[in-house]
Amino acid sequence: MQAKPKLMRDVLIEEVFSRAKRDKNLLFISADLGAESLDAFRAELPGQFIHPGICEQNMIDLAAGLTLSGKTVFTYAMASFITARCYEQLKVALGAMKQPVTVVSVGVGLGYDDAGPTHYTTEDIACLRALPNVEIWSPCDEESAREITSECCERPAFRYLRLERPALPAVYQGNFRAAMSAGFCEVAAGSDVAILSSGFMLHRALAVRDRLRMEGTDAAVIDLFRIKPLSARALLSQLERYPLVVTLEEQCLAGGFGSAVAEAFVDYGVQRPLLRLGLPDRYFFENGGRNHVLEKSGLSVDTIAERIAERLAPPARRQSHLPSVPTLSSF
Amino acid sequence: MPHSFQNRPRTTSGADASASLEILTAKSQWLRRTLFEMVMRTRKGHIPSCYSSIELLVALFYGGVLRYRHGKPNDTGRDRWIVSKGHAAMALYPILADIGFVAESELAQFTKKDALLRMYADPEIPGIDAISGSLGHGLGIASGICLAAKQDSRSQRAFVLLGDSECYEGSIWESAAFASHAGLDNLVAIVDRNGLSIMGRTEELCRLGSIEDKFRSFGWEAVTIDGHSYREIAEAYGRVGRTGGKPLAIVANTVKGKGISFMEGRSEWHNRMPDAAQQERAWADLETNCISH
Repeated sequence: MQAKPKLMRDVLIEEVFSRAKRDKNLLFISADLGAESLDAFRAELPGQFIHPGICEQNMIDLAAGLTLSGKTVFTYAMASFITARCYEQLKVALGAMKQPVTVVSVGVGLGYDDAGPTHYTTEDIACLRALPNVEIWSPCDEESAREITSECCERPAFRYLRLERPALPAVYQGNFRAAMSAGFCEVAAGSDVAILSSGFMLHRALAVRDRLRMEGTDAAVIDLFRIKPLSARALLSQLERYPLVVTLEEQCLAGGFGSAVAEAFVDYGVQRPLLRLGLPDRYFFENGGRNHVLEKSGLSVDTIAERIAERLAPPARRQSHLPSVPTLSSF
Repeated sequence: MPHSFQNRPRTTSGADASASLEILTAKSQWLRRTLFEMVMRTRKGHIPSCYSSIELLVALFYGGVLRYRHGKPNDTGRDRWIVSKGHAAMALYPILADIGFVAESELAQFTKKDALLRMYADPEIPGIDAISGSLGHGLGIASGICLAAKQDSRSQRAFVLLGDSECYEGSIWESAAFASHAGLDNLVAIVDRNGLSIMGRTEELCRLGSIEDKFRSFGWEAVTIDGHSYREIAEAYGRVGRTGGKPLAIVANTVKGKGISFMEGRSEWHNRMPDAAQQERAWADLETNCISH
């Protein structure tokens, strides 16, 4: 029986903590987001833990000053507050000044169940993608979270690290490190369609694959864990064998994960059907939890499988000669 | 008539030189004239924002305050300086040339195509320690620099020139709270209190009140001075490192555009360029010494 998976934030904090014990220049700044694993860090290395107040703007500028002075710095806060709240600081102090700070974003997407639009980040990929000099990483399990953290410690750069709030089952079995430089990894093989996803939604993609298989459709699942920079040429070459490519994200579609793939298709002249699945263009206030919102947004496993099956069906069997309404306004 | 950079007054080089009032006064005049010449060449830049800060900067670099070595911008131990009110960042350029951090020939290229010296400064320019142009970043970045120095038991300090209107930005007060809590007595904020933002007088637009009281309430040592008086500036800079573990805020009452009579205290000159007749008048004004005693 597999061990219970750890929370991604615990994986990250434990990795940074173990390295910080040996490296006094490794610092961790949290804008009031706690964790039990962080308590040990604070107790043992109080000089390397910084609480700047609930002040995300100052946290990022402060981090830039520290890296300018040769420190290795992790900044840590809830996803919605370490992105839009301090976007200007990410752009100016880290992007324009090329400061190698790791920006750890906890609870991306709809991760904070029932908390509503102030706590959801349904736009963070679009926002961060727009900044030059940043890398965007989105782990899907313990192993990928640990390896990416280790990379951030060993080769600091301006990285935006998207951590999922819940513990997620293992996808990788010791093979993530080898895949890391490519930025993506085919985690399940298939031939009829390729589903690209990352993080929490990668697990949904795997469930969709199982569902499609029951109907005789063989879907591959590709973990696109480094959203920026995209290894466009390698990714597109990998996708050549699939008649349909699907992107699946827990973001509004404007500028997000699917957009990154769509832009690569256009830029490289790839003329292959691409189905972008994500959240509708609205804010989410309703109670009922993450799955409920995803279901209402047409992103339940069954609905995703149906939408993919529809796109795979011969044109005569489709409800219309046009594909599903792209804005998802019907949901 | 245009002035040449080569005519700058000489001081003994480096931070050890604590120049006489006479030399500082001459430096003020040289810096104002050099900046005017630079701006007139391409008609880009912000003269009034620079001119309110001239004495504050000259005293920092030539008054024996900053620790740096001539021609050594990459010296990791040197003090750091951030002109966070980005419109005045160009006021550093002639000084950086004078202390051998950038080539003197760059001054004539200011804002020209692909030239090193841009309207707003960034760390690609030797001797520029943080980016400017967007308000409210310098104090936080300097806090990080000062905290790192404390952690490493280094004596490095950071001096940040803030605009008074920059103090509208909430991030300034986030940083002020942190710097005080962290006991960053190696951090000095100099607030250029010229009383003007682009659209008018701060106290009429959205009252800032006593910036000294604001910093003091955040746990800083704070003092208000005449920012054009070398005597008062020297007294204030003399408090650096003698603040009992607190960061130091020096609120300097200044005049925007100080030195060119028709620009003084006039917000409309923030981004305006003088015509030929006005340039003549400006050069005449810049012949005389404008500092207070």
